Amino acid sequence: MLPSGIHFKDHAQELRLLRTGPQRAALLLLLALLALFPLVANSYVIGLAITVAITVIAVAGLQITVGMAGLLNLGQSAFVGVGAFTAAALYANHGMPLLAAVGLAGLASGIVSIVFSLPAIRIRGLYLALTTIAAQVVFPVVVLRLPPTWFGGSAGIGIDRVALFGVAVETPARFYFVALGVMVVMLTVAFNLQRSHVGLVFRAIRDNDIASSVLGVQLGKYKIMAFFAGAVFAGVAGGLYAFYIRYVTTDQFTIWLSIWYLGMLIVGGLSGPLGAILGTLAVTLLQEAIHWGGNRMMAALPQLSGGVIFSVTNIVLGAAIIYMLIREPHGLNHRWSILKSAYRIWPYPRA
Amino acid sequence: MGLLQIAIEGTLTGLVYGLVALAFVVIFRASRIVNLAQGQLVLVGAYVMGTLLSRLPVPVAIGLALAISVLIGVLIERLVFRPLIGQPAFSIVMASIGLLILLQGAVQLIWGAETRPFAAVLPEGIWKLDAILVNKRLLIGAVVTIAAVEALRIFFLKTRIGLRLAAVAEDHYVALSMGVSVQASTRIAWAVGAFVSTLAAMILLSGNVLGLQAGDIGLRALPVALLGGLESLRGALLAGVIVGIGEALAARYLDPLTGGAMSQVFPFMLMVVVLLVRPQGLFGWKVIERL
Repeated sequence: MLPSGIHFKDHAQELRLLRTGPQRAALLLLLALLALFPLVANSYVIGLAITVAITVIAVAGLQITVGMAGLLNLGQSAFVGVGAFTAAALYANHGMPLLAAVGLAGLASGIVSIVFSLPAIRIRGLYLALTTIAAQVVFPVVVLRLPPTWFGGSAGIGIDRVALFGVAVETPARFYFVALGVMVVMLTVAFNLQRSHVGLVFRAIRDNDIASSVLGVQLGKYKIMAFFAGAVFAGVAGGLYAFYIRYVTTDQFTIWLSIWYLGMLIVGGLSGPLGAILGTLAVTLLQEAIHWGGNRMMAALPQLSGGVIFSVTNIVLGAAIIYMLIREPHGLNHRWSILKSAYRIWPYPRA
Repeated sequence: MGLLQIAIEGTLTGLVYGLVALAFVVIFRASRIVNLAQGQLVLVGAYVMGTLLSRLPVPVAIGLALAISVLIGVLIERLVFRPLIGQPAFSIVMASIGLLILLQGAVQLIWGAETRPFAAVLPEGIWKLDAILVNKRLLIGAVVTIAAVEALRIFFLKTRIGLRLAAVAEDHYVALSMGVSVQASTRIAWAVGAFVSTLAAMILLSGNVLGLQAGDIGLRALPVALLGGLESLRGALLAGVIVGIGEALAARYLDPLTGGAMSQVFPFMLMVVVLLVRPQGLFGWKVIERL
């Protein structure tokens, strides 16, 4: 809900992402704060921020497939993996520039996703989710069987030096800006996709695919497009991941990662890209809190092992997902919009 | 190794997949819940039984483990799925993903990540029939599986309670308006599902090593359940046999060419091809969708 006194003269104005001056100012302020962030943070926190930025891209892609189009995708980390391997191979073996490699990584993931979403022409509903599990199972098997000169086989691919436009990007603080820049671009795409014609069609398919097909939507085509869009985001995230970790193997992209991505999206809310951001932030903060508490406890009780922290994190995330589905099915995103409208119409009680 | 030998081994392994898929089908058929946490349900059953077997005499341990898993199933229904009755199918699948993460974490927290031995409750060794070798453990497993399917068929098709469950699988709202309790059905579904899962864990792991990767069987059973059709009990079994034989054949004839890749990918390829021709699986209910 907008504050009083704001009127739109045409529909295009109403559709804008940033509709008022203060909204634009707030976004600029946020971007400025994000840009200044490395000045105050230590390298651990910067590393965490890079991971969050990469994960946000992957989860935002998942939001397009799962949230916008309503197609369950249990193989997002395989598409991230395809992107990571493509970017690493293009950069390390073929000398392609960093940003071009990341872009092509997105494209490669998208193309691979088409192969797995082709059954969408005929298969519907949850059965379709199974072909995405197939992607997850097939991915390591295929990468490991391809000639080692392509993707390094079981040894994986390492990246020695990371440079962008001839400038070395060796420290986390420098890579942070690369990740941040790419994330901002991808999120701009995600937010705009949501309000575009294609986004509208995706939501129509999610709400009722038979009804939308009666209204002339070509279901197969748009479902494949939804997978494609989600996988492009995954591929870009994978490309960034390759340059951040600088070492890519198939074990980094398991079905567990896919499930975690889904968990983040559910916690954040499926209804918009903001849900992907909030969910990733919330789950990462939760994870860090458990790590922090766990390390404190391990110092006091040496018989605990690192596996305990990992398993507690899983329990908390699983419980959080179930709790959110029961208590707040629209996710943190919904809470955020309630908070926002309460702030805007303060001091009046919210409608 | 002859073709018949491969077929028999494939059939027996496939029936174990079929048993896990059966648990999945039972839960779906009685509550319309797509339970992606099926592998973790097997995992929990396996750890409960494994722990009891190391402390108690075998029959007591098995009975107690099955009873405990039924309790766990009822508890899952009460805490996770009952509050979600009437929610969209999509939310319920998501909840099963949450359950998957939760159970995996819980098992690791309680029992740790180290592998442990699982006592041999079924006879080990090989039964020789002329030139054909039959694994005794899997043979008994096959008998148990077939018995379980037939018993469940009678339950679902001949008893009043079972027929009510079918109404719930058809549509929650219709079932509620006809006076069928969705809560009660879901509870029965999870109790039976957890029971069958623990049975599958016993056959799968008897005399083997028990570790966290036991839950991966869920990923193998999922294509089996879909291949057979989500509503069909016998279908799960037959699909298990098809996948088992196909996998064994792929392992024998195609893996040497592809470096061991085909037998892993095969179930999924088969599933996709069958679903393209018959989207409801081999024996699933053909649902006519209306606006």
